[in-house]
Amino acid sequence: MSLYTIKKEHRCIIENLPKIGLLKSLGLREGINVAIKSKQPMGGPVIVQVGRRCVAIAQDIAKDIQVREVS
Amino acid sequence: MDCHNNSPEVQVGKDTLKFLLMGNPNVGKSVVFSKLTGVEVLAANYTGTTVGYTKGKIRNLKKDGILIDVPGTYGLEATSEAEEVAVSFVKEGADAIICVLDATNLERNLNFALQLKKFDIPMVFVLNLVDVAEQQGVIIDTEALSKELRAPVIPTVAVRNVGLRDLLSEMEKVEKREKEVCYTAEKELLEEEESRWKEIGRIVEKVQTLEEREPSFIEKLGYASMQPWPGIPLAIIVLVVVLGFVVGGGKAIRGALLLPFVFNVYEPAMTAFVGSFIAEGTIIYNVLVGDYGVLIKIIEWPFALVLPYITLFYIALSTLEDSGYLPRIGVLMDGALRKIGVQGGSIVPFIMGYGCAIPAILGSKAATTHKERVIVASLVSLAVPCTAQTAAFFVLLGDESIWMLVGVYGLSILAMIVGGGVLNRMLPGKVDPMLLEIPNLLKPDLKTVAQKIKIRVKHYLVEAQVPMALGILFAAIIAETGLIHGISDFLSPVVTGWLGLPGEAGLALMLGIVRRELAVLPLLDMNLTSLQIFTGATVALFYLPCLSVLAILIKEFKLKTGLAIAGTTLVAAFVIGGVINQTVRFISSIL
Ligand SMILES: Nc1nc2c(ncn2[C@@H]2O[C@H](COP(=O)(O)OP(=O)(O)OP(=O)(O)O)[C@@H](O)[C@H]2O)c(=O)[nH]1
Ligand SMILES: [Mg+2]
Repeated sequence: MSLYTIKKEHRCIIENLPKIGLLKSLGLREGINVAIKSKQPMGGPVIVQVGRRCVAIAQDIAKDIQVREVS
Repeated sequence: MDCHNNSPEVQVGKDTLKFLLMGNPNVGKSVVFSKLTGVEVLAANYTGTTVGYTKGKIRNLKKDGILIDVPGTYGLEATSEAEEVAVSFVKEGADAIICVLDATNLERNLNFALQLKKFDIPMVFVLNLVDVAEQQGVIIDTEALSKELRAPVIPTVAVRNVGLRDLLSEMEKVEKREKEVCYTAEKELLEEEESRWKEIGRIVEKVQTLEEREPSFIEKLGYASMQPWPGIPLAIIVLVVVLGFVVGGGKAIRGALLLPFVFNVYEPAMTAFVGSFIAEGTIIYNVLVGDYGVLIKIIEWPFALVLPYITLFYIALSTLEDSGYLPRIGVLMDGALRKIGVQGGSIVPFIMGYGCAIPAILGSKAATTHKERVIVASLVSLAVPCTAQTAAFFVLLGDESIWMLVGVYGLSILAMIVGGGVLNRMLPGKVDPMLLEIPNLLKPDLKTVAQKIKIRVKHYLVEAQVPMALGILFAAIIAETGLIHGISDFLSPVVTGWLGLPGEAGLALMLGIVRRELAVLPLLDMNLTSLQIFTGATVALFYLPCLSVLAILIKEFKLKTGLAIAGTTLVAAFVIGGVINQTVRFISSIL
């Protein structure tokens, strides 16, 4: 399933992500565990906590990130 | 590829050590730079504060050395113009790299550090923000880290000068290198990705201990401010408080302090002084102290009218910048902003544009596509009034009615929506979707903020005064010599016929070429009707960006684009102003 479908305050493990250099540099990579911190209305971004920092990811990118939900 | 081509303007001796200050965005590089060189550069709590580079001579170093403040970058594949600058610097080589690490986010910072290490340039690591890390319960063993990185690691709190002396003594150990080696195996870097993250995991495991802590109030606030609820109401409250502070505060300072001084003390004294050796009623007398008297206006306009608002605005802006709150507004507004072709992160240059368009246009370099940059720069030039002009509006409109002020700002926002929508469709290419790091919410450091306010107010005082003075002198001369009548006649089809303003208002249009507030201030003393005030303000709002902004536009986007932006603003000013005037007149004639 895609990162965009995960509910707020749930955690997931990234399985597959598009080849965007900046995503990796921001610390998003396969196998890491992230938490959804907020979802914005009007097609806005989701906020994901990676390690100790939050990153805003646009809907278009988040939809292409495949994840597995964990609880 | 030639990687040793030093940029021509660098004037360094043969023995001068060259240090690059590098690291991820928003880790405190610019603060370290200012402290080590004494050169004032702006620092702020979000990604992409530094977009060009600054060089400075290092003070208190026993050797001769220069330091270069480089824009922050997440990796060595540049994703924006600002990051390209950074990457080209490493490739150029240096005697040492000072790599600044954010102690609150060690993993990601190490990812960049390990990539930099491949360049075979000696490195000194600065572990900054240890104060914030400590509050968050993150403890890092610097000695162990230093062993892992095989290079010195200096813990610092740059804003409070902690650790900078140790950094200097490490820097003194650096030797001038014979040959600058450059690294070209970029492919290798990408292939190593996986093993690099493993390595990072191992290092972090070894050097970092986390203590479980209850999130502090400020961390909770940081979290709440990026939720639609309560984030959006909070943003509105912040906006209202800032406006109240600037508008109310400015009005109070002006009314209680500055205007009485100008009109009761300064003006009579100056008039008497000039009158003591120049006969009253002569042209020279009038140019100096008459209706547009240079000696009066040059104090009244920039100091009594504009300066209080500028100062208060920069107090608010600088505080907000250092708090890390602005990118959170960007997140909340991303959905809406995308419709006008910009992403949430670009809210920062827009907000800066309410200060001055120049840093806003330069700041747009952090945008990831050229298209987005052009949209931001165009909209800021068209519809965002700078503080000086805002101050002039507050005086012109605020004294008339608060609703007029609301009306003009509403028009400005409407123009951004329409203009952005059009540009987004018209310009080729796509705007990247948002991908932005949200900084920690921090309590701004008082000294750092005060320093920043000082830099900006000083900038206004230095940069604005000469054009302002020349503009006022020019106005005084043409008004007092009667030349104004000729000009009014010439411009009257537009100014009087179409815009419905008195002939003298042509003066505002002429001065407005020089500075934005000068398109407004001359209207103050013309006894205009409400409609005329509103029309005049509308024209001034959209009218040409000031000369310095035009110069920056041309420099950043080439002549054609620069002139196209300026031309559009000019046309928009006359069309919108005229339509408002004609419509209101038409409606009131049939009522
Ligand atoms: N509390 C605390 N704040 C710091 C420290 N160092 C820097 N800051 C703040 O962190 C923010 C970022 O600092 P900058 O110097 O602008 O960061 P930069 O690395 O130059 O960022 P870019 O130019 O975007 O790459 C500013 O608001 C600083 O005031 C520190 O040691 N402690
Ligand atoms: Mg910087």
